[in-house]
Amino acid sequence: MPGRVLSRVVALVAILALSAGLYACGGDAGGGRNTLKFYIFNEPGGGPQKVADQCSKDSGGKYKIDFTFLPNQADAQREQLVRRLGAEDESIDLIGMDIIWTGEFANAGWLDPVPDDVVGPATENVFDSVLATAKFEDRMYVVPIWSNTQLLWYRKDKVDEPPQTWDQMIDVAEREKLKIQVQGNRYEGLVVWANAMIQSAGTEFVSGPTEVALEEEPTKRALAVMRRLGNSAAASTDIDTSNEDSARLGFEKGDSIFMINYPFVYTSAKENAPKIFKEMGAAVYPSVDEGKEAKPPLGGINIGVSAFSKKKDLAYDAIRCMIKPENQITIAEMGGLPPVREDLYDDPKIKKVYPGFADVMRESIRLAGPRPSESPAYTDLSLGIQRGVHPVTKIGDPDAAYEQLRDFVEQAVKREGLL
Amino acid sequence: MKRGTREYTIWSVGIVAIIVAALFPVFWLLMLSLKTPATVGDGRLWPKEFTFANYEALFTGGFYDSPFLRPLINSILIALIATTIAIILASFTAYAIARLNFPGKALVLAGSLAIAMFPPISVVGPLFDMWRALGIYDTYPGLIIPYLTFALPLAIYTLVAFFREIPWELEQAAAVDGATPMQAFRKVIVPLATPGMFTAAILVFIFCWNDFLFAITLTSSKEGAQTVPAALAFFTGESQFTAPTGNIAAAAILVTIPIILFVLFFQRRIVAGLTAGAVKG
Amino acid sequence: MSSAAPPQVGAAAQKPKKVGLTERGRAERKLAWMLCAPAVFVMILVTAYPIGYALVLSLREVDLRFPNEGGFAGLDNYITVLSSGLWWEVVFNTLLITVISVIIELILGMIIALVMHRAIFGRGAVRTSVLIPYGIVTVVAAFAWFYAFSPETGFVNNTFLSPDDKAWFGEKGSALTVVIFAEVWKTTPFMALLLLAGLTTIDEGLYEAARVDGASAWQRFVRITLPLMKPAIAVALLFRTLDAFRVFDSIFVMTRGAQDTQSVSILGYDQLISRLNLGLGSAVSVLIFLMVLIIAFIFVKGFGASVPGQEEGR
Repeated sequence: MPGRVLSRVVALVAILALSAGLYACGGDAGGGRNTLKFYIFNEPGGGPQKVADQCSKDSGGKYKIDFTFLPNQADAQREQLVRRLGAEDESIDLIGMDIIWTGEFANAGWLDPVPDDVVGPATENVFDSVLATAKFEDRMYVVPIWSNTQLLWYRKDKVDEPPQTWDQMIDVAEREKLKIQVQGNRYEGLVVWANAMIQSAGTEFVSGPTEVALEEEPTKRALAVMRRLGNSAAASTDIDTSNEDSARLGFEKGDSIFMINYPFVYTSAKENAPKIFKEMGAAVYPSVDEGKEAKPPLGGINIGVSAFSKKKDLAYDAIRCMIKPENQITIAEMGGLPPVREDLYDDPKIKKVYPGFADVMRESIRLAGPRPSESPAYTDLSLGIQRGVHPVTKIGDPDAAYEQLRDFVEQAVKREGLL
Repeated sequence: MKRGTREYTIWSVGIVAIIVAALFPVFWLLMLSLKTPATVGDGRLWPKEFTFANYEALFTGGFYDSPFLRPLINSILIALIATTIAIILASFTAYAIARLNFPGKALVLAGSLAIAMFPPISVVGPLFDMWRALGIYDTYPGLIIPYLTFALPLAIYTLVAFFREIPWELEQAAAVDGATPMQAFRKVIVPLATPGMFTAAILVFIFCWNDFLFAITLTSSKEGAQTVPAALAFFTGESQFTAPTGNIAAAAILVTIPIILFVLFFQRRIVAGLTAGAVKG
Repeated sequence: MSSAAPPQVGAAAQKPKKVGLTERGRAERKLAWMLCAPAVFVMILVTAYPIGYALVLSLREVDLRFPNEGGFAGLDNYITVLSSGLWWEVVFNTLLITVISVIIELILGMIIALVMHRAIFGRGAVRTSVLIPYGIVTVVAAFAWFYAFSPETGFVNNTFLSPDDKAWFGEKGSALTVVIFAEVWKTTPFMALLLLAGLTTIDEGLYEAARVDGASAWQRFVRITLPLMKPAIAVALLFRTLDAFRVFDSIFVMTRGAQDTQSVSILGYDQLISRLNLGLGSAVSVLIFLMVLIIAFIFVKGFGASVPGQEEGR
C-alpha cells in the first residue's frame, strides 16, 4: 500500500512538473509577437509604467510594453541583467540602464547602437552632462529618459546660508554639534561621492579606457576632505555603512544639519517628518576648493535596446514615444525624477515638482560630472574605487591614501587581480 | 529527578534557555513583519501597532505581478520535483549498496561522500557557462539538476542506514519463492522502506528549499526559475532607495512555515534521519 | 565474492552464504550497477565535469564582457590570485570564521546533546525547537540577525549589549562577529544531533561501573564519554568544518562582502558572476576545491575520522 502512495506522489509531481512547463510556454505565448519586454527597476512613482502604457495604447497595437522589474539596488540590478545578457537571453528588448553601465554593456556587445534617425530626437535639448553617459567610443548606445542629481539639503532653521565648500559645511556642523548625512558604505554610492570630490578638486579617475588620471595634488585634496569628515564629530555614527536611505532616515530624525542626497528625500520628509520638512532647504552640491565650481553627482536612467532582441525596430519606436517632453514631465510629476531636457525646467509643471528649487536642479545637472561610465571595465573600476576610499573613517595620511587609491584604480582599469 | 531539587532547577533553566535561543529569531522576524513602515525602525521587540500590510503587499498583483507568488510556486515545485527524483535514484543506489554485493560499492559511497563535501562555488561558474550554452539557464531543470547532485549523497546515506535495518530474510524468502531481484525489491523492500524514504525526502526537501547560491547564480527571473531565497535577496522596496524590510520579513516568515510544520509533525523522523548515517561511523 | 575489493570484506562477512560467483551473483552484480548508474551519472554530471571545465577555463583568459579577447593564459590567472593580498586576506577570513564557529558549535553542541540525552523531561520540546534553526532557510536566518543587529531596524542596540548606537556592520570585527553568531545559531543543532547519535551508542553500564568506582560527573565525561565519542566528534567536525568553509549566504545578506568580510565563496562569486571574468573566477574555484580536498585529507589522516563511507568496513 505504501507503494501505491508513492506512485501517486510520483504521478502528482509529474503533473505539477508538466503544468509548470505549461506556465512557461503560456508566459511566452502571452508575450506575443508585438510585446516588448522592458527590464527596469520598479520606479515607485509609477511614471514609467504610465508612460509606457500610454505609448502602447497610442501605437494602435503596433507594440505593447511589458515590464519585468529588477531589484532596487543598482548593483543588484546590474548583476541580474549581466547574467541574462551574458547568457544571450533573447527575451529582453528594452533595458532601463543606470547611466554607469553604458561602456561595459556596449563593449560586451549587448547593446544595439542607436540608429541615426533616433539620435536626433534622443539628443534634442538634452544636457551635455547627460549625453556624455549615453556614448561609448563616440557612438550613442542608449537613450536618456530621466536624470538625477544630488543636492545639498540643509536646515534653514540652523543655518542662514548654505555653505559653498565641504570645509565650510563641516565647520558649521561641528560648531552646531549636528551631523552631516552622506553615503559612505562600500557600494556604488561611495563612488558617486568620491567621483564628485575628485572632479571638483580638478582631476578625473581615468583619462582613457586603460589610463589612470588622478593627478596627485587635487586627488590628495579631495581625499583630505573626505578624511576630515570621516574623523569629524559631524559624521553620523553609521557613516561607513550609510546609504541614501539611512541618510534620509538620519536626517528625518532631526539631529542632522546637512544631507547630501537625491530629491526623493524631499517628498519623503513631507510625509514622514513634516516638522523637518518645513525647514528643509536645497542648494547646489558643495565644492572642494573655495571659488571653484562643484561637480555634483549625476544619476538617472538611459534606455538601451538589447543586441539580442528580435524586435529592435519596435523597441526604438517605443523609445521615441517614451522620451517625448510631455512624457518626461509625467515621469517627473509622478516620481520626482528630473527630465533630461534642459528646456523643461522652465515649464510650470516641473517648477511645481521641485517647488522653489527647479533652478537648483537644472544648475546641478548642468554642472554635474558623470562617473567614468565610458570605461568598459566600469564595474572593476567602481569596486577598485570603493576599496580605495572605504572606510572614510580610516583614510590615512594623504600620501598613503593617494598611493592606495591609485594602486586600486590602476589595477582595476587593467582588469588585473581580484576585486 | 524530583521537582524542587537543585538539579531539577538547573535542568529546567537549561532546557528553557535552549528553546528560547532556538525560537527567538523566528519570533523577532514575525514581529518585524507585523510592523508598519513608520515603526519598522523603532527597534522594539513588540510592535507599537500591528499590520498585515507587509503580507498583503507580497501577493498584490496576482500571478503576474506579485513579487512573491511566482518564486513561491517555483520553490515548491522545484523542491518537490528534485526531492522525488533524488529519492527514486537514491533508493536504487542505496538498495544496491545495502543489499547487493558488487565491485565498486566502496567507490560509490566514497564518491558520494566527496560530493557532500564539495564546494558548490567551484562549479557555479562552469554551470553558468554550460547552462547558457544548453539554453537551460533560468529554467526548472537548470536548478533541479544541481540540487539532485548535492542532495543525492544525503539521500543515499540516509537510505543506506535505513535499508540496513530492514529485515533481510523477507527478501530471501521472496527469492526462494522464485521472485527475481527486481521483483523482490518492488514487492518486499519498497513497502518496508517507505518510512525511511519519507524521512530522506524531508531532509532532501529542506536542503533544496534552503539553497541560495545556485538559486542566485543560475536563475534571474521569477517568470523563470527564481526561488524564494533568491527573490528575497533581490526584493524591491517602496522607492529606489528605501529598503523593503517589512516585506522581506513577511516573506521570510512565510517560507519558514513549511519548515515549522515539518519539524512539528516529523521531529522524530528528522532526528532519526540526520543521525542514521552518522551513528554507523 | 572472490572478486570483492578489500573494503568489502566486512560486507562479505555479513553474507556468509554466498560462495563463488553464481548465476544469481552475476545477475545481482549487474542489477547493482544498473541501480547505481543514474545517481552516479547525475553526481558526476554536476561535479566532475564542471570541475574539469573550471580547470580548462582557469587556464584561459575568458571575460564575457570582453568577448573579443581571450586565449590561452597558462598559469596567469593562478599567479594573479595567489599573488593578490586580497586572496590571502579572504582565505584568512574564511578560516577564521570556520575555526571559531566550529569550536563554539562543538562546545554548545555537546552541551545541547547532553541535555537532550540526559533530560528526563522536556526532551521532545528541546528536540523540536532546535530543529527550527537546522531547518530554517539560511538566508532567512541571516536576514533575522541582520535586522536584529542593524542600527536602523534592530533591537540589539537598545539592549545592554550595546548601549550606544553601534554600527555592527560598519567594521570588520563586529561584522564578522555577527556572521559567526548567525552561523553558530543556525548550525549548532546539526552538530548537537550528530553528537547525540554518538552519545546514544555508549553503553550505560560503563557509567554505572564508573559511578560505583566513585568517579565524578566530570571524570565520567572525560574518561568515558569523550573517548567513546571520538568517531562521532570527528565526523561532526569534518562535516561542519567543510560546511563552514563554504560560508556564503550569511555574508551575502549581511555585508555583501563589504568591510573586508568576504569569504572565499563570496570572492569566487564576485569574479564569476559580478565581473563575468570566468577565467579568473575559475582559478579561484579550483583553488577553493583544492583547499577543501586538503582540509578533508587532514581530517581523515590526522584525526582518523572514520567517516561514514567506511561504515561497511566496521
